[in-house]
Order: sequence, then structure tokens, then C-alpha cells
Amino acid sequence: MINFLSYALISLGIVFWFWGTWPLIGDRSVLFKLHTLSVADTLGSMSIMVGLLLKIPSEWPLLILALISLAIWNTVLGYVLAYCSSSEANHE
Amino acid sequence: MNWILITMIFALLIPIYEAWQDEDIWQKMLAFASIATKTSVLILVISVLRDDWMIGVVGVIILSVGNASLMLLAQILKRMKNV
Repeated sequence: MINFLSYALISLGIVFWFWGTWPLIGDRSVLFKLHTLSVADTLGSMSIMVGLLLKIPSEWPLLILALISLAIWNTVLGYVLAYCSSSEANHE
Repeated sequence: MNWILITMIFALLIPIYEAWQDEDIWQKMLAFASIATKTSVLILVISVLRDDWMIGVVGVIILSVGNASLMLLAQILKRMKNV
């Protein structure tokens, strides 16, 4: 049961990855790509992490650290990239 | 668990392609941020697969330090554009 759950979570994360990374190739604006990418990367990677955590519960400190740094860093990086790219657009 | 690794590498190829073909610097930065996250998660999956926690520690370090360095790089790029 736990094994199945972890595989399901990892597959969900990979589906999220593909869904959010695919618009990167198109010709949309940077902010649109940033939004889908940050949602997909953060949520997908966190779901993969939880799947791994269910698989090997003995190594939880490292995986929890990875989860926390994913959640914090990816949101902060999203804000910083949006700020930097949009203020450049205002100058032009 | 090999198919997981193969599909993850395919997902990793998309931002690599984007970083290669796009000239706009912010699109490149986006692609690099995506590559950093995806590779570190890939490293963690490999460390679980091989049950080797030395690799896992490297993945977690890349996850935190790699994103921080990308943030600093974005700030520097912005300042360089403004000068």
C-alpha cells in the first residue's frame, strides 16, 4: 500500500514537471512561463520528495530539509526573477 | 524504478533545450533555475535508488546553494542592465 502510494506520488510529480516545463518552449511572456514553471517545479518536486520519504522513512531529516529548501527557495527565486525581469521591461 | 529516472531525464531535456535555443537572458535564467531544481531532485532520487546518502547530501546542498546563487546572478544581471 505504502509502496503504491509512493509510486503514485512520484508519478504525479513527474506529470507536474512535464505540464509546467512544456510551455517553456513556446513564445509566451517570461512571467507566464515563470508562473507555470515555479508551480510545476515546486509542487512536482515536493510530491516526488514525499514519495521518496514514504519509500525510505529512515532518512527523514535529509528529505525534510530538501522539502523545506524547495518550498522556500523556489518561491523566493520566483519572486526575485519576476522582479528583475519586469523592472527591466519598465525601463524600456 | 528505472523508468522514473528515464522520464525525469526527458523532463530535464526540455529546459536544457530552451536554455540552448533562446537568446533572451531572462528566459535563459528561467531555464537554468528549472535545470538546477530538476537535477537536484534527480540526484536525490538516485541516492534513494542506490541507498547512498553521501549522494543525497550533495543533492540537498545543490538544492539550497544552487538556487541562492541563481538569485544573486539575477540581481547582478539587473544591475548590469541598469548601468
